[in-house]
Amino acid sequence: MEQKKIWQSFGELNQSEAYNKDVKDEFKEELPFVAEEGKSFLEAKAPRRDFLKYLGFSTAAAAAAASCEMPVKKSIPFANRPEDIVPGVSKYYATTYVQDGDVVSVVAKVRDGRPIKLEGNDLSPVTGGGTSARVQASVLDLYDTARLRFPTINGSEVTFDAADKSIADALKDNRNVVVLTSTITSPTTKDAIAQFLAKYPGGRHVTYDAVSYSGMLLANELTYGKKAIPSYQFNNAKAIVSIGADFLGTWLSPVEFAKQYATGKKINEKNPSMSKHIHFESVASLTGSNADEKYLHRPSETGAIAAALLSAVNGAAITGISNEKLKAGIAKAAKELLENKGAALVVSGSNDVNVQVIVNAINEAVGAGGKTINWASTLNYRQGVDADFAQLVEDMNAGKVGALLIHGANPAYTWYDADKFVAGLKKVTTSISFNTKVDETATLCKFVLPDHHFLESWGDAEAKSGYYSLIQPTIYPLFKTRQWQDSLLKWSGDSKDYLAVVKNYWSAKVGGETGWDKALQAGVINPTTIANPTGASFNSSAVAAAVAAVSSAKKGGKIELVLYEKIGIGAGQGASNPWLQELPDPVTRATWDNYVIVSPAMAKTLLNIDLNDNGQADAYEVNPPKKVVKVTVNGKSIELPALIIPGTQVDTIGIAVGYGRSENIGKAAAGVGKNAFPLASLAGASVNFSNADVTVVATEEKYPVALTQTHSRYDTAQGNRTEVMKEISLAEYKANPTEIREDREAELKPYGGLEKFEGQGTIYPVYDRPGIKWGMSVDLNSCNGCGACVVACNAENNVSVVGKPEVLRGHEMHWLRIDRYYSGDMENPNVVFQPLMCQHCDNAPCENVCPVAATNHSSEGLNQMTYNRCIGTRYCANNCPYKVRRFNWADYTGADSFPDNQEGIVNDVVLNMSDDLTRMVLNPDVTVRSRGVIEKCSFCVQRLQESKLNAKKESRPMVDSDLKVACQQSCPTNAINFGNANDKNSAVSKVRVDNPNRQFYVLEQLHVLPNVTYLAKVRNQDEEKKEGAHA
Amino acid sequence: MHLKYESQLREPLVYGDKNYHQVTEDIVRPIEAKPTRLWYIGFYIAVCLLLFGVYAIYRDVTYGIGQWNLNKTVGWGWDITNFVWWVGIGHAGTLISAILLLFRQGWRTGVNRAAEAMTIFAVMCAGQFPIWHMGRVWMAFFVLPYPNSRGPLWVNFNSPLLWDVFAISTYFTVSLLFWYSGLLPDFATVRDRAFTKLRKRLYGVAAFGWTGSTKHWQRHESLSLVLAGLSTPLVLSVHTIVSFDFATSVIPGWHTTIFPPYFVAGAIFSGFAMVQSLMVIIRKVFAMEDYITMGHIEAMNKVIVLTGSIVGVAYLTELFMGWYSQNKYEGYTFWYSRAYLFSPYGWSYWGMMACNVLSPQIFWFRKMRRNIFVTFFMSVIVNIGMWFERFVIIVTSLYRDYLPSSWSVYYSPTIWEIGFYAGTFGLFFTCFFLFAKYFPVIAIAEIKYVLKTTGEGYKGRMDKIEGESLETFVHDHAH
Repeated sequence: MEQKKIWQSFGELNQSEAYNKDVKDEFKEELPFVAEEGKSFLEAKAPRRDFLKYLGFSTAAAAAAASCEMPVKKSIPFANRPEDIVPGVSKYYATTYVQDGDVVSVVAKVRDGRPIKLEGNDLSPVTGGGTSARVQASVLDLYDTARLRFPTINGSEVTFDAADKSIADALKDNRNVVVLTSTITSPTTKDAIAQFLAKYPGGRHVTYDAVSYSGMLLANELTYGKKAIPSYQFNNAKAIVSIGADFLGTWLSPVEFAKQYATGKKINEKNPSMSKHIHFESVASLTGSNADEKYLHRPSETGAIAAALLSAVNGAAITGISNEKLKAGIAKAAKELLENKGAALVVSGSNDVNVQVIVNAINEAVGAGGKTINWASTLNYRQGVDADFAQLVEDMNAGKVGALLIHGANPAYTWYDADKFVAGLKKVTTSISFNTKVDETATLCKFVLPDHHFLESWGDAEAKSGYYSLIQPTIYPLFKTRQWQDSLLKWSGDSKDYLAVVKNYWSAKVGGETGWDKALQAGVINPTTIANPTGASFNSSAVAAAVAAVSSAKKGGKIELVLYEKIGIGAGQGASNPWLQELPDPVTRATWDNYVIVSPAMAKTLLNIDLNDNGQADAYEVNPPKKVVKVTVNGKSIELPALIIPGTQVDTIGIAVGYGRSENIGKAAAGVGKNAFPLASLAGASVNFSNADVTVVATEEKYPVALTQTHSRYDTAQGNRTEVMKEISLAEYKANPTEIREDREAELKPYGGLEKFEGQGTIYPVYDRPGIKWGMSVDLNSCNGCGACVVACNAENNVSVVGKPEVLRGHEMHWLRIDRYYSGDMENPNVVFQPLMCQHCDNAPCENVCPVAATNHSSEGLNQMTYNRCIGTRYCANNCPYKVRRFNWADYTGADSFPDNQEGIVNDVVLNMSDDLTRMVLNPDVTVRSRGVIEKCSFCVQRLQESKLNAKKESRPMVDSDLKVACQQSCPTNAINFGNANDKNSAVSKVRVDNPNRQFYVLEQLHVLPNVTYLAKVRNQDEEKKEGAHA
Repeated sequence: MHLKYESQLREPLVYGDKNYHQVTEDIVRPIEAKPTRLWYIGFYIAVCLLLFGVYAIYRDVTYGIGQWNLNKTVGWGWDITNFVWWVGIGHAGTLISAILLLFRQGWRTGVNRAAEAMTIFAVMCAGQFPIWHMGRVWMAFFVLPYPNSRGPLWVNFNSPLLWDVFAISTYFTVSLLFWYSGLLPDFATVRDRAFTKLRKRLYGVAAFGWTGSTKHWQRHESLSLVLAGLSTPLVLSVHTIVSFDFATSVIPGWHTTIFPPYFVAGAIFSGFAMVQSLMVIIRKVFAMEDYITMGHIEAMNKVIVLTGSIVGVAYLTELFMGWYSQNKYEGYTFWYSRAYLFSPYGWSYWGMMACNVLSPQIFWFRKMRRNIFVTFFMSVIVNIGMWFERFVIIVTSLYRDYLPSSWSVYYSPTIWEIGFYAGTFGLFFTCFFLFAKYFPVIAIAEIKYVLKTTGEGYKGRMDKIEGESLETFVHDHAH
């Protein structure tokens, strides 16, 4: 059959030429740019229109390319990926934080070859996974731009070989070689020093601690025959008396002590009992702020108090104390100690041998030895005796020191008589510093051979005898630095390097290569059996002389001075660390400065500020410039602004050391505060950090102090804001355990009471919240306000540093802050610390006011912030009752799309934080926020996601042990619990179920339904201290 | 013997026995004449202020909101204070045009054009603040609900800030249309008198081909009524919605149900004060005392004393509730942060009380209501007071809210915050100077409705006759 021809057009029917061409070409129109042979582009068909198109596009493209600066990506992919590194997956290495004598076992989180965060090592029985603010911040020191990047001779760069050669020449035939270090806790380092000194007969090793514990060491030598410090067991103590020892903040091993102390403060609701902590001090400290009862005294009375306490525990009368309150306090302390004989502990922060001898005698009298004091294991954090160093300075000045090798110590800054040390150093022909920066001492040394940062080092530490912690590098050394032990070994002619020494030493002890690997993995080597605390035989012969000495001590003058260390800055080691400078001091809430602490009573006479007068108190609080006072001590003067801090003795002022450092050590230290070390003095064998007679005069000047909290009382003339903070005495709590619950019930009664509040407190429907519901619980009894969590949060979440000028304007970015409130008597108040982060409200007031829905609620109960959606109206921050939202007021991070907008707007410290080296510390899992957006606590959502995914990969439900948020991990006292509140087995659920009577929500009555619960602060006080009286 | 009967009910709305032509002459003259020296000086100052404002905004956009002294606790300060202040001022125009039109208040015609212009310029100024106070203003378009490529993202209709976007843009659009539709016949008048081709062309375009036919007039009238009907609820809604920015929040001092009526009263109060300030100047500078009369001034002063007193009652109610509620947070805000004179911001509260509540009471006296100097002085005082009111509401509520730990340091503006505010003054007066020069500042067509030409002429003649002797009268009329 002939096929029927079907056609659509005449063209197809006739197979016309035009039709065939159309069928052949894919496009009906002529293709542009098909240059015809031999013809230029402009002569081609339809060139004009295409030319215009082309022109338009190219102009636009050129304009776009020229105007938008394309970021230069400096990433280099692995040609051959190391077997054990997966990009984007963190590795964890156990190592040890070591700074001078401080030792904390940690686990370093290493991401793509960079250590970015330190977490406490749970395997260490000493710190139990706890950390401090300084530990958390130390990772930033690794990337410090001020680190010395190569060895120098007289300030100019040399190679290590050249330096070794010069030093070998210089040391040849040198008879008086002195190795000057801060406390060394490493057994192998001590061996290396000994080996080195053996080569130079006549040489010696001097240990120098900026803030020494000479008094204790010498007192223990006198009374126990051991120049050492025993272990303390605060966890075994039912009664703790501290005479000025800031053991939660800065004294010896605060992380360890905080952990032990917290065990006595945690409450079992069914059978509440607590340790009793009575504190005597002159200037408000962190430990004093946490004490159950605190008594204020003049620094010159320290010895008298110790002596009085000794006679009281011995059943004699209290003499030598005129202040009635103080007398009662001593009597009470003695009573508590005696009632808890065998579970009592007295500690003192005094550096006076006599005081420490008396304290030892008291401890013997109350049976502390073998119970709360353990001589089986000594604390090695501080080993320096000031007299040794003073002798060294004399020798140097007398020209008796040929060579001085300095590691860690910085006496040109920290010694009370630095000028003399500097003069002596000039007489030392060969001076070698191993310090990592050209600090005040290193700058005077001929040779500087910078040491590694501890995260680049090998090593070990024995901070508590029998408990070892190993150091392994987590990154290849960033600069041309060398471990100083390697230098010592080399110069003593040992061919082994320090790694081999450490490895041999430990392999022999822990069972060869396998044992070494295992130990390195765990990071700690613990005694196989933890021995019971043992005492030591007490020699009381020195006690009578000590008592006589303190009794005859001269009375203080009108005003006395106490020098103290701050929790972040220490003796100046933290001064170059921006995170620590910006960490608000827990007690004063000030950043970026030191200042003179005065009591409210002294403020009245000295500064003419009466905090009981609303107008004057307001003026003091809302205006950052504070009056400057001039303090004169032994002819040396210092001018600093005065801060009024309740809880300070009326006639005493306090000044923090560690400030006024050389700008060589970093931009963060430049121009911050003033050096107070020269105000100390040498008394006998130890440096005295107080002075009994100083003069203070107010000047006309004012100086702005960057405080992050201006008001500190939650009671007002219009009512006591107990919804913010709940605290109660133990006696009251025992009498009526449900008091707090009843208060809440009464507050919410009109809205259905506690049970029905969620539904009846609103006109809107209530939804079920199945699945995961993230929740946090903070125990205010455990929290001591140390600030480790604040810095941990900075590190984990890339929280910007904003610098002093910005903190002054209330622009600090901390996602987590620790609020401090006073209640009761203004001169000696109760203090409570309250960590406050985003409360992740289920009915969040920030969420509904955002016009663009940039902040919203996740199905897991998170209040989540979408940075790239945020347009920065700040309405959410205004409407947050907790004021936890932070706005990026300027380009703090350099992440902004506007170029060149940091200079002149943010200061050098902030600029330095966006330096390429410093930025290596950033956590790649967390967005670096740009200018103009709001940010806030995310409950470490990156950790939550990781833990969920890990559980998912293993096909099991997520459990508590899968995650710890950064603040929770860093906490030395486990004050923070976090987890899935819908999981009945999670710790946070259990805490909530087990503590119905202490639990509260901050500002619960607002019906914002927070996901953070707090456990009320209970103080071991007999009676209710008067609250609500508005001062 | 009285040969005439004169109504004693009200004064004439236009003095000077004008006829229609004179009215046109009087009003169009400034447009056709060269501007005076004074105009140039004023315009120059306004433009300088505007440029300073532009620079202040440039800094804010380039370097961040940190150019201002706001902080973690006080997230809004001068920016939103100025926003609410300008929006408030932008109320009088529409109120005068729309509500008074509906109520058939003839006196409005003398002032409505300038008042509406003021409204539009004020709303333009107000709009700057919510825009430039954003941290990332280049993302400001996120607030517009339009189909977009950003997935399911959409604006948050729960947010009062979004309501603001709608309320203010609607208000601005309707006010602009209302104002412009009223301008059409007047532009046609200017066009018809044009002496250059360019003028003719430009005003011709602006007049949309108005010919003055009866049909045009009929449609014009209907449109005016319709727009007046639309504007009337807007007058109430805009400031109600602005007040929701505060009233729907949880912050003590903001979370108050009294806010909508209180804000609307305050807006009318400040709007009328601003109209007074401008009118007193315009009538003097353009010699328009015959059109903007004492009667106008007195009428507006009456509104000021009324709304000022309403606002005063609102203040006292707030204070009462601060105590009566026994809410310690509100109590603190109202009784300490605000009403306690020696608290850090006590001065602003008492400044507000003095300016807004006490001083307008002077207008209970007729003599004061009709005194130009007092009127001008008071109009400035009221606007200062109303600025304080917004500052008090925003800053004293925020800087000490729930958690005492977060109480703020003293907030005071930087030069760039002040510069931004000054810049909006520049914008306002630049616009106003241009308006005064190129637009008929009084509604020519409308004011002709209220001329009592015939009656006044008759009255004039009768006065003359009454004054004459009978002889003269007879003599004059004998021919």
